[in-house]
Amino acid sequence: MKIELRDVRHVYSPGTPFAVEALGGVSLTVEPGEVLGVIGGTGSGKSTLVQHLNLLLLPTSGQVLVDGADALSMDRTALRRRVGLVFQSPEQGLFAPTVEEDVAFAPRRLGLDEDEVRERVRETLGLLDAGHLAGRSPFALSGGERRRVAIAGVLAMGPEVLVLDEPTASLDPTARGDLIGLVVRLNASGVTVVFVSHDLDEVAEVADRVCVLEGGAVRAIGTPADVFYAGTSPAPATVRVAAAVGERLPGLGRPVRYGETLAALRGVMGGTG
Amino acid sequence: MTVVRGVGQFYPVGSPLHALDPRAKVVATALLVVGLFFVDSAAGFAVAGAATALLVVVSRVPLRAFLGLLRPVAFIVALTFFFQVFFLREGPTLFRWGFVEVHEGGLEMGLLLAARLLILVTTAGLLTATTAPVALADGIEDLLSPLKRLRFPAHEVAMMMTIALRFIPTLGEEAQKISRAQAARGADFTSGGLLARARALVPILVPLTIGAFRRADELAEAMESRGYRGGQGRVRYRELRFRRRDALALVLTVLVVLAAVLL
Repeated sequence: MKIELRDVRHVYSPGTPFAVEALGGVSLTVEPGEVLGVIGGTGSGKSTLVQHLNLLLLPTSGQVLVDGADALSMDRTALRRRVGLVFQSPEQGLFAPTVEEDVAFAPRRLGLDEDEVRERVRETLGLLDAGHLAGRSPFALSGGERRRVAIAGVLAMGPEVLVLDEPTASLDPTARGDLIGLVVRLNASGVTVVFVSHDLDEVAEVADRVCVLEGGAVRAIGTPADVFYAGTSPAPATVRVAAAVGERLPGLGRPVRYGETLAALRGVMGGTG
Repeated sequence: MTVVRGVGQFYPVGSPLHALDPRAKVVATALLVVGLFFVDSAAGFAVAGAATALLVVVSRVPLRAFLGLLRPVAFIVALTFFFQVFFLREGPTLFRWGFVEVHEGGLEMGLLLAARLLILVTTAGLLTATTAPVALADGIEDLLSPLKRLRFPAHEVAMMMTIALRFIPTLGEEAQKISRAQAARGADFTSGGLLARARALVPILVPLTIGAFRRADELAEAMESRGYRGGQGRVRYRELRFRRRDALALVLTVLVVLAAVLL
């Protein structure tokens, strides 16, 4: 499915002394099948933006279109099933006595029969390498395990678009790597992913397109190479190294991902490295 | 982020009322509230009502805020009013229809009680709308401090109040965040019967409670690591200063209350 935001503005607490404009006219399209990376500093409007993708927040003005039709007139619950949103620190929403029960919450809400619910829970936990945790209490797990279980809680709905808001925040490097791997696997199986992060290196590894938010507006959007090599926004370590080396050694190209960068550097070094 | 705007929210707009010493405001509010119970004439309520209305205007707090405050009590006011009107049978009969009788005494009593409740709530709302929670707690601590001689834990009570007030918006924000996260998993809090709705709250209440305990732990550690050891010898960042205008405000309050009681 394709989600289009057209000139979306969002003001918190409008009409009071506390009014804050979090988004000031954002236009953006999430294309089916892509991994869209959304980057931006604290307070740039990332979290507000993603909550418009499944209409947990309604735009103060502007439009949200799903496959070309106005999303505001659609059934909200159905929309939220199709667009799975994983909030920042999603493990804070774990509540059931066992992992299995917690992950089963969403499929049960879909009205599936019990066998199908069990099947989905097993499948989703398996996808996240968390099958062995099924019988345990979510409160007795490590940080990385709880994060995976919480993501499974959303994935179990079988969403077409998965929105991850800062999914790797406060995870250790191994758990981070696992999560990036999951995003790649999910995308390969046809799920559209919106990946929100302020870690540029991570976004560079997974994104097909990158959107830079700043002060509630889209500062740049395009392929990672176009955005990161433009020099107008902060770039990941790979791009900084490649840009610096490329000044002396043309022919390096514009690699972004770690693997590409390594291959390109080896190439210009003429096989000596 | 969205701040949960509950009943009695502080409205940070500058006004003469905001500038007053919180101790003066607490005492004045107490005087008005207690005084109201001794007012028993229409003229007295006219004075009290006019004074409250004037304060609302001076406070520059939007009228909307007070309407929000009055909404939950509107039912009680209406109930009190009708109870008095229909069941108090004093004075000449004004109206009779079947077994329903309205007497003058009942109507008068109903109106007076309704006025008392409305003025009461507005006055309390004025205090919380014009005084920052921390200032309010500081003021109450000072007012309670004479009781320390009687071993009353004035500092602890004020600290608890400050912390509780400080965390209302935080918990509200967290509740909102968790309920959004659960809504994203298909939770539905608005449909179904009473039992279904109560059950729908479990996915919010469990994480919220766990979060509250975690926060309490973190706060206790943060306070200890900064050397908090209770109220003994502790000084304040913001000293309260009782000025001439605070005294003036108290004198005016006493005069208004006396006028309303005696009329």
